[in-house]
This record gives sequence, C-alpha cells and structure tokens, in this order.
Amino acid sequence: MTSPLLIETRKAIDDPQLQDLLDRNADRRRQLRESAFHQLPNAADLRDRAKAIRRETVSNLAAHLETFASRLTENGIHVHRAADGEEAGRIVVEVARQHDAELVAKSKSMVTEEIGLNESLAAAGIQAVETDLGEYIVQLRGEPPAHILTPALHLTKEQVAETLTEELGEPVLPDVNEINRIARSSLREVFFSAPIGLTGVNFGVAESGTLCIVTNEGNGRMVTSLPPVHIAVMGIERLVPSMDELAVMLRLLPRSATGQKLTNYVSLITAPRRKTDPEGAEERHVILVDNGRGALLGTPLAESLDCIRCGACLNACPVFREAGGHAYGSVYSGPIGSVVSPALFGMAEFGHLAKASSLCGACVDACPVGIDIPGMLLRVRSTAPSNSPSVSRGLKTYAWIARSPTRFRLAQRLAGLATRYLPTQAEWITSLPGPLAEWTSFRDFPGFATRPLRSRLGELRLEVQPRNPEIEPPVQTERMPERDLDDSRVDDFETELKELGGEVIRCLESDAADRIMGELYVLGGSRVLTWGQVEPILFTVFQRIEEEFQVILPELPADGSRGGILSEYDQAEVGITGSLAAFADTGTVVLSTASRRSLLPSLLPAVHLVIVRAKDIYPNMEAWLEAGGSHFVANSSDVVLISGPSRTADIEMNLTIGVHGPGQVVAVVIE
Amino acid sequence: MRVQLLATCLIDSLFPEIGEATVEVLAKAGARPSFPPDQTCCGQPLLNAGYPAEARALALHTMEAFSEKIPVVVPSGSCTEMIRHRYPELFAGDPKLLRRARAFAERTFELSEFLIDQLMIADLEAPTAQVLAYQPACHLLRGLGINRQPLELLQEIPGSSVERLEPECCGFGGVFSVDHALISEEMLKRMIRQIEDTGAETVVGCDASCLMQIEGGLRRAGSNIRCSHLSQTLTGREPGLR
Repeated sequence: MTSPLLIETRKAIDDPQLQDLLDRNADRRRQLRESAFHQLPNAADLRDRAKAIRRETVSNLAAHLETFASRLTENGIHVHRAADGEEAGRIVVEVARQHDAELVAKSKSMVTEEIGLNESLAAAGIQAVETDLGEYIVQLRGEPPAHILTPALHLTKEQVAETLTEELGEPVLPDVNEINRIARSSLREVFFSAPIGLTGVNFGVAESGTLCIVTNEGNGRMVTSLPPVHIAVMGIERLVPSMDELAVMLRLLPRSATGQKLTNYVSLITAPRRKTDPEGAEERHVILVDNGRGALLGTPLAESLDCIRCGACLNACPVFREAGGHAYGSVYSGPIGSVVSPALFGMAEFGHLAKASSLCGACVDACPVGIDIPGMLLRVRSTAPSNSPSVSRGLKTYAWIARSPTRFRLAQRLAGLATRYLPTQAEWITSLPGPLAEWTSFRDFPGFATRPLRSRLGELRLEVQPRNPEIEPPVQTERMPERDLDDSRVDDFETELKELGGEVIRCLESDAADRIMGELYVLGGSRVLTWGQVEPILFTVFQRIEEEFQVILPELPADGSRGGILSEYDQAEVGITGSLAAFADTGTVVLSTASRRSLLPSLLPAVHLVIVRAKDIYPNMEAWLEAGGSHFVANSSDVVLISGPSRTADIEMNLTIGVHGPGQVVAVVIE
Repeated sequence: MRVQLLATCLIDSLFPEIGEATVEVLAKAGARPSFPPDQTCCGQPLLNAGYPAEARALALHTMEAFSEKIPVVVPSGSCTEMIRHRYPELFAGDPKLLRRARAFAERTFELSEFLIDQLMIADLEAPTAQVLAYQPACHLLRGLGINRQPLELLQEIPGSSVERLEPECCGFGGVFSVDHALISEEMLKRMIRQIEDTGAETVVGCDASCLMQIEGGLRRAGSNIRCSHLSQTLTGREPGLR
C-alpha cells in the first residue's frame, strides 16, 4: 500500500523547480536560525525554561484558560469557546452578521486554516481576504499554504507575478519589489474598508488577558487597529501564564522561525479601544478553539500541545525538504505536523505520516521548546502501525526469533546461506527479493555473513593484558561567553536597528529639533502624520513642523465609520512618534495607544521617524517588563514593539522591506 | 577493566569484521571484552516500526543477557541511544523494571565515548594514514551528544586528515529505508554528494547501519570511496565495511 504522502512526494521530487525552492528554504532558514541562536548567550538554558513553561502551561491548561477567560472578560473582550471548527465558524459568522459585514481582513492564522474558516465564511456569503503576502498569493491561487510560516514557499516569483497579473488584469513583472508594492497598494483597500479584522494569536497571556500577535509585514497591526471589530481565533493551548514567560517565548519564537531576534511587530492587545485611544477596534472577540486539543491532555501525545508553531522543525527536516508541505495532505506538515495531524484529525487518515521519518532528530534539535518529536512519532506509530501485512509479519517473526539465542543463531545461518546465491557485484548483493527489493533499487546490500560474529569468538583474543592508560582529561570545546550589554545601550540599540535596515541619528536634546527638521527636508514629502503635543520633545518640534508641513493628527471616528479618512491618512509620507521605551539588544521601540498616542504614524506612512530618549533604552525586553512594562501592558489596550522596517521573505526567500508597514525607520536618539 | 561487548544484531549478522575490530580496539585500550552469548537484538527495529510490546520483550531479553554488573560497550550510537533513552521509556509503567533499565543504561557506553570518556585513551597507535570524512550519525550526535570523541580518536592517527561531514541524515532510518525508499534515496544522494565534495577516500562512522546505507549507495554509484567503522579505521583495516 503506497501512502498518499509517497505519491505526492514522487511528484515533488520530479519537480526540479520545487526542489530548488525547498532547498533554498532549508539552507537559508537553517543558517539564519543557527546564527541567531549562536548569538544568544544562554540559548540552552532558555530552551530548558521554555520547555518547562510549556509543560507546566499544558499540564494545568484548564486553570490557565479559566484565568485567561476571566481577565479577557474583565478587560472588555468577548470570550467564546468553540468545541470544534464548525462551532468556531458559526461564531465568526454570527459576529459578522451583527455588523452586516461582508468582508473580513485576515492576518495569517494556522488555526483558521485548520478549521476551514474561510470556507465557512464563504458559505455564509462573507469574503475573507488574506493579507499576509504569501497567504494572499496562495489564496488567489486557491491553494492551501505550503508551510506554516511561508505559505508560498512552493512558488517562484514568476508564478506569483502570473497569479497577480491574472487577478489584477494588468501585467505584473516577476520582481519581488514590484510584487511587494502591488500587494501593498491593493491590500490597503481591504484594510481600510473591512468592518472586521480577523487574526490568530501567537500567545495569550493568562495573567493579564493580553493577546500577543506577531507579524513582520505589519498586516497584523492593520487588522487589529483599523477595522472597528477584531476577532481573534486561537487554539486553547496557546497560553503563557504571565508576561515573564511571554518574554522567554518571544526570545525563542522569532529566532526559531526566521532567525530574527524579534519579529518586526509584536502587538500586545489587552482591551478594545478606550476613550483615550485615537484608534483600535471598538469591539474585540476571542474564540478559544478546542478541536481535539482537550482530548489530548494526559495522553501520550499531549506533548504535541507544547508546539508554538515556529516552523523550525519543518525547515530542519530532511523529509520535508524532499516532500514539501503539500505532500502531507494536512495544514500541519513536517515533523510536528506528522504528530499533530494524526493526534487532532485522526489516526486512520493521518497515522501514516508518522512513518515518513528516519527519526534523525534534526527536529528536536531545532525545536525551541524541546518537544521529543521522534518519541511522539514512535507513539503514533505504535497506535497506528499501518505497516503492510508482509512487513508486519516479517517484523513480528523477527521479534520472535530474537527472543531466543538458539533461534537467532539458526536464522543467521539460514540467512547467510540464502544470500550466498543472490547476484553480487564486488561481493555486495545487487538484487534482493520480496519486500527488501526496495533496498537494492538504488543501493547494494552486503549480505549476511556466512560466519556471524558469534561463530568467531574462539579466534578472538577476548582476554588480554591491560595496557597502562595515559590519564589525560579530554579537550573541552566550550563557546566563549557573550559580551556584557550594560554600558553601551545606545551603541547596541544603534547597531541592532541598523542591522535591521533602520537608521539612527544621535543628538543632544538642544539639537533635536534641528536634526528632525533636517531629516524631514531630506525625506521630502509634504504631509506628516504625528502625535501632536503629547510628548514634550514632540511639542518643540511640532510647532516648527506645522510651519513647513501639513500636519495630520490621526483619530478614527468612535462610531466605527472609517469612510475616506484612512485613505487621507495614508497620503502622509512621514509619520513621527515618540516612544515609551526601547530595547538595546533587538533595536526595538515600544509604542502604545495610551494617552491619545496614535499608532498609525508608525504604521501607515512609508517612513517612520521615532524619537527615543537614551534613558528609555533598556538592555532588553525582560528589563523593561521588570521595570514596569508588564504592568503597563496589562493596563493599555494596545502596545506594539517595533523592530525595524516592515519586511517579508515570502517569495523565494528574498527579503524585501516595506510590505504593509513603513519601509524606512529612522530613530532619533536623544542623549 | 572487564567489559561486555554488545555487538548489535547488524554487526553480528552482517559485519562480523566490525565486531572483530572492536574487540581489538578494546584490547589495545586495555579493556578485557567478553561476549555474552545470549545477546541478540536490542529491540530498536521493533520500537521504530511501531511495536513497543515486542521491543519491550527484546529489551528485557537484552538486560537479562547483560546481567553481569560491568560496563557494556556498544559499537553503535543508535543502539546505545535506544538503551539510554528509550529503554527507560519502555518501562516507565513498572517502577522495578524502570530502575533496572536506568541502571543498565548507566553502565552502557558507545565505543568512542567509552574509550575517551571512561578509559581516557585517545591514541590507539593506529597504523595507516588516510584522508577521512567523519560521518556524525544522527542518534550518536543528537541523541547522545557524542561528537568530539570519535574525532579525537581519528585525529590521533599520524598523518591522516579528518573532515567532519555536515550532520545530515543519510536516509537509513530502519524500516523507513525500505517503505519510504523514495525519500531515503534522495537523502542518500545528498549525503553522497557531500562526501564526494570532501575528496575523502574513506567515510568513517560509529554506526554500521548508516555506513551500510552509504557504502551500498557508493558502490551502486560506481564510486571508489568506501566506508569504515571507527574500529576498523583504528585497527588499520582496509577501507570497506567487509
């Protein structure tokens, strides 16, 4: 019996273009991940911590879910529980109907793929538009994503250009920047007009009822900030107890997924829009989807719920590298998919996937939360061995033989005799019979020894005089400890942001206004989207900007109407904001909607100019959380961590910047 | 020091030459190996194919065959990994057997690990110089964390050069190599390309199973490159598993 995976793999292997794309993905992603972890001083400890966090969270899932749901409710977010995909679909349709919505703007979410949400919506006459570049393209092509992180992994830029040409009715060149530009402009309409934004959730923070959503392109920010209604769909296992554990996960997830120190945009959403917020969804819903997860708790496959969907095991897997994502026939492919798919969707249909592994363990090595994937593949195999009758009989006979040394010796002799008569080439067998014929289809076989080792014992010197061992301690090859961050926060912030493609201008407060004005002249443009007077430093600059430029202070109408206002904001060439804090180790700035500070200047224009005070630069996220950041997140409706320009590598692994968010980030650091 | 040789079913039945070389290496290092005659198979092929009950029976048989409380040396990373990590899992439900499995795991060592970490011997006065490619097998490297030990042993051979291959699976994987032959073949091709790029004459490894896959592939491709088990290289055997 040939498994569906093998049939599809045959096609994948015969497609040199796909093989090339898969190789590129494997090589590039592995290299990026390894270098990201190499730079992390305590990677092994962090991984152990992350594993312990996931184990604890999943083991006490009911309690954490309870806390999370009550915090969400207290924060004013509607909580729904869905036992399966159908129920989740019904809830989304209901919410959409309450708002007469016919269009939903979606950011990438695997759980919605899992439950076929787009199909449920389509059946109710509601169009869901995917806004992640890769996902947008596969949606246009009517294909499922080929990778949980890089949906269009299987497509060349030529194929993407063809798809867009067909969709838009005008020729699109097979150039990644051009594709990017076109996606940016055509999806703007969707962001600005959709009454509902729909996202997944990377982590739900139980203690504060916070939704953490990470995107590189900025589409996650668009769909949670611009439409008046936000629906977040998440698997019940995607929780962390508090912000401290979230910080650990945020160190590991981006490094594992894309080799980034931090994802470009980390949204931390704790409430719907408040009176003092200039934007943000007025109504937020969270749908907690079980869909088979609860039933896994306490079973041998419960560890699969530890997965944080980083995709690292797919990129490390030699089988995925040959087969590609589609061959698995499940939304979850690769090593973890071969466990999750049978665990969630049924052994009968997906149990065979667990056999498609050499158990090489590259997946465990890559897994940021240390899931024993080979161990779980073995558990799936033992539940659903799905071997052919002849293989099954053969293995059981072998087990019977090996339980007795007498039978074993006899079998060895018989095998030795039998293989003597098979065709050989330089003493190795070139053709084996029966189920072993597959071996010799591309490899020679050594054949059984006519005299096995146990028959040669008499000739072996099994007792000899001890030699005097030279006692010499083995050479230890330990990595050098990483440098200390403390006294060079501004330098580090500058280095990191520049590495991400951002620019850094360092100046004294007295020069700040001149430097910012100078920068604005250089950037050109005539319209500036900004916060206005809420920051003392901005206040000084503000008056001068107002004299020279058209200044827009964004505030979305509270009644949910958007009209043309967003398109108007979108005309601004530059956005200027301050920042609440910054992280030296990742070149990150922290912004929030609190106190009428709009996030739109950091999202809509092509250039984001951000003012950072040197004293607000913390060594890292943990230091900020400790110094009150956790409290701040819990009490704000929307906090965003921004690390460099918006970017994507969705097409042929080519990094392009400025997808949905700004393509240029300039930090003015005031020392 | 007296030790018991767990030869593995594969070496016993297909590559007795590796078993002989292992005995010679251990003797040179000052250990006195014995061959417990009741040994057959550690049970890994059955566990990997989805038959934990059968694997458990063979694990019990193996612990029985090696009941003398002295070190067990295994010329295979894969079988050592089975004993060290999977045996305790197989007996997780039975406290008494679990204790026994753990104690057994604690005195079981892969060959290179035993030589370097236990006996603290690196120089075995291996006679011939060669251009070697060292193949870090998956279970050895990832499962047991053994990497520097075989390299230290190989680097002691006067005049030889050793290049460590990238840790990529050769595509063996037990039953996988036959029932997913299509994928196994692609993985093997990738491994062979990597080997050819090094310019090595011999591929050395610590696992006869991977080496059987690789040499089988090299021979079929008409290559002159051969594989050797670590013990064969250390005792100056001609390249080639048999």
